[in-house]
Amino acid sequence: MTISTPVELIVAAPGRKSRGLAQAIARRIGIAVIVIWGAITASFLALKSMGGDPVQSIAGGVVQVTPELREQIIAKYGLDDSFFQQYLSYLGGVLQGDLGTSYALRRPVVEAIAEQLPNTMTLLITATVFAVAVAFIVSLTTAHRGKRVRSTFQALESIGVAVPAFWLGIMLITIFSFGLRMFPSTGANGVAALVLPSIALGLPVAATLSQVMRDTLEKTLDEPFIVTVRARGAGEFVVRVRHALRHSLVSVITLVGWLSGTLIGGAVVVEQVFSRPGIGRMIFSAVLNKDMPVVLGIVIVAAVFYVIVNTVIDLLYPIIDPRLR
Amino acid sequence: MLNTPSRRTMRLVTSGAAALAITAGLVACSAEESTTASGGDPVSGGTLTFASNGDTDCLDPHQSAADLAALYSRPILDSLVSLTDDGEVHPWLAKSWTVSDDQLTYTFELRDDVTFTNGEKFDAAAVKANFDHIVDPTTASALSAGYIAPFVAATVLDDYTVSVEFSSPFSAFLPSVATAYFGMEAPETLLQDPGELCKVIVGTGPFMSETGYVAQQGITYLKNPDYNWAPETANHQGAAYLDELVMTIVPEDSVRLGSLSSGEVDAIASIPPVNVESLEADSNLYTDSAAAPGGNYNYFPNTEMGVFADIDVREAFRMGIDFDTLVGSVYFGAFEPANSPIAPNTAYYDPSQESSYEYDADAAAKLLDDAGWVMGADGVRVKDGEKLAIQMPMISGAREQRDTLAQQVQAEAAKLGFEMVIESQDLGSYVEALGNGSYDLIEISWQRSSPDVLRTLFDSANIPDGGFNTAFSRYTSPVIDDSLADALATLDPDELTELYGTAQQEIADQVLVFPQYVFSYILGASTSAQGIEWEPQAFPIFYDAWKSE
Repeated sequence: MTISTPVELIVAAPGRKSRGLAQAIARRIGIAVIVIWGAITASFLALKSMGGDPVQSIAGGVVQVTPELREQIIAKYGLDDSFFQQYLSYLGGVLQGDLGTSYALRRPVVEAIAEQLPNTMTLLITATVFAVAVAFIVSLTTAHRGKRVRSTFQALESIGVAVPAFWLGIMLITIFSFGLRMFPSTGANGVAALVLPSIALGLPVAATLSQVMRDTLEKTLDEPFIVTVRARGAGEFVVRVRHALRHSLVSVITLVGWLSGTLIGGAVVVEQVFSRPGIGRMIFSAVLNKDMPVVLGIVIVAAVFYVIVNTVIDLLYPIIDPRLR
Repeated sequence: MLNTPSRRTMRLVTSGAAALAITAGLVACSAEESTTASGGDPVSGGTLTFASNGDTDCLDPHQSAADLAALYSRPILDSLVSLTDDGEVHPWLAKSWTVSDDQLTYTFELRDDVTFTNGEKFDAAAVKANFDHIVDPTTASALSAGYIAPFVAATVLDDYTVSVEFSSPFSAFLPSVATAYFGMEAPETLLQDPGELCKVIVGTGPFMSETGYVAQQGITYLKNPDYNWAPETANHQGAAYLDELVMTIVPEDSVRLGSLSSGEVDAIASIPPVNVESLEADSNLYTDSAAAPGGNYNYFPNTEMGVFADIDVREAFRMGIDFDTLVGSVYFGAFEPANSPIAPNTAYYDPSQESSYEYDADAAAKLLDDAGWVMGADGVRVKDGEKLAIQMPMISGAREQRDTLAQQVQAEAAKLGFEMVIESQDLGSYVEALGNGSYDLIEISWQRSSPDVLRTLFDSANIPDGGFNTAFSRYTSPVIDDSLADALATLDPDELTELYGTAQQEIADQVLVFPQYVFSYILGASTSAQGIEWEPQAFPIFYDAWKSE
């Protein structure tokens, strides 16, 4: 689910400046609603077509359901309604902020997600910050450097992209938790517990980012204006950080927005490996248990997250590149 | 190394015969034996951290059917009676009990010195409140209500006398009521929304937890300093030794093992069989295991349709595959191969029917030849144009490498001329296939505390009819149905031995099950964590546990 091509939207904006900000905002909200509605509908269809008896899932899987319990469950969850009725009543609930009751956890989905969301958000944010920081440092220091330096880092980046988060997580735990005893291997207590999961989640993203960033940096460094800057006597640091970096930022943050979706998927694995509470682990067990309200709820949260990240990025474009104002 | 020898510290053995001998020893020993032979005297104080392998849906065992609900709730909840692993019932919160002649009414005399940790008194009204809570439709009990299906009512006779009435004789009641699923909760808390009880429960047990169960994180307990009503089956009386007990959840096997060997936690659940040996090699660690009573991990043939409708084909499949060796090689001897639908430590287990499950590949091949199944060019036998094909649905992501075992069985079945197809399915589809009987072979384990599990698994009344049910081989035998029904109506040990024996022999004669292994809970612990005991249903309990320096 891509929400739009952000660059296009903003690039088109200057021509319609007079039509005002209000319209741009309305347009953005409209797109957000369509994205979220699409995500709900697609997930609803997918989950309903998976087969299996929902009463059995609600009762807890491999358990005997007495006729009385069956009736009670059907009545409570409205399972005898038609498919379309169930869909509409779910959408109606969403509009009122009610995501239903979890089959397995026996509590409101909103409450269950709210409890775990901060953990996952903290992880996603630190992983992103880590990834961006690593990408900045690596790309700034290696762009247009000697062939050996570049190819070494390119190889490392390829490995970084290819390494499964699961394996990376286990390796990090083995070395830094069980070996060096620097960081805890499990849980979400304190900053120390955030270090390894953020690296496991952020490293593949950092590798992707720094590849792209170095490419654009190198292209920028070949631009004629860089020659002008150098001619004015600017040092290498100033050339790279003040002038070239700014040009490559647009493509980098576009990529960050796109990768934010990947990060949510990665959180499922990383939370599992590091025994970290969060919505990633929650959706994992919800899918196994066919806990439909929880799966749908987390899909909505993920869609909202994606929309927010990309909106923020769209707002950043004109700040980074004044030509887009 | 095992430096805390106890009746249950079974050495993990590789040969099936040795395993059986050890199990026999396990059943015979008494419960009063100490586990601290070489560990010194228990000391009070300290925190023990136990890393479990998974989440429960709900902490309240009246609601949940999860094994882990029993593990997490047991430190908080006591039961009316306690069960030893030889199936004997002992007093606990009930001092004594009587059973009416028609076996429809159980009357319990309760202890009068017990209080819940919220200050409520434990009395006859509290027991009634608990039974009423279990059968209340709003509790939507997934297990305990079904356990006591013939329940009619609990009646308060006086302050400390309560009777429980059934509509039909129910000899499995006491072993059932001894489990954590019938743990006694404080009556006031039972009035809350069921969802609240999924987080916080209050009982009379040796530990309490005000913060309760936190999904994905676990639960922290503090000791109940006033505890003075441990069952006589425990190793000590009075308050628990530990000040604090922490159960965390670490789903990844390798991380859980690492947390133990690096000393981050004191004990861990579910050691993968492959890791037992390396863990034992570490002098600071030990493993301990307990076999679960009730149904083994079994394969059940669908006797209603397909090739397994023919008893000769079932017999050939049972004889022609060396299940014992397969189990031994997949689990490195950590799980005992099964030669009966129920575990040897289940009460009224009949060892005489074990011989029916012996391996004889030549006899199996001959049986198929004689029955007219001709080996085809593709290695699959054919009779009257019908292939000797079987289809087995499996839940994807099965625990304990059950998929590996299934592949080995598949390979062995192929040698006999069976074409065995394993279909990996999600839980919902699996349960649906099970309900409709659209399978030739189905695999499931069904651990329970009493031999009444035979009725669960083989009584024709429990043949799945659309929804989930448990008589997976879908076979109707008056011999089985009658003897199991009669067993419910007697408490006489001799009669029970005979009735349950008859049923087990008939199950073997009709080839209604291909037993795989006896599920054992394998625990790993640091040598500083002593005295961890076992609930008869094979999960660890921490009342007698203590930490050494």
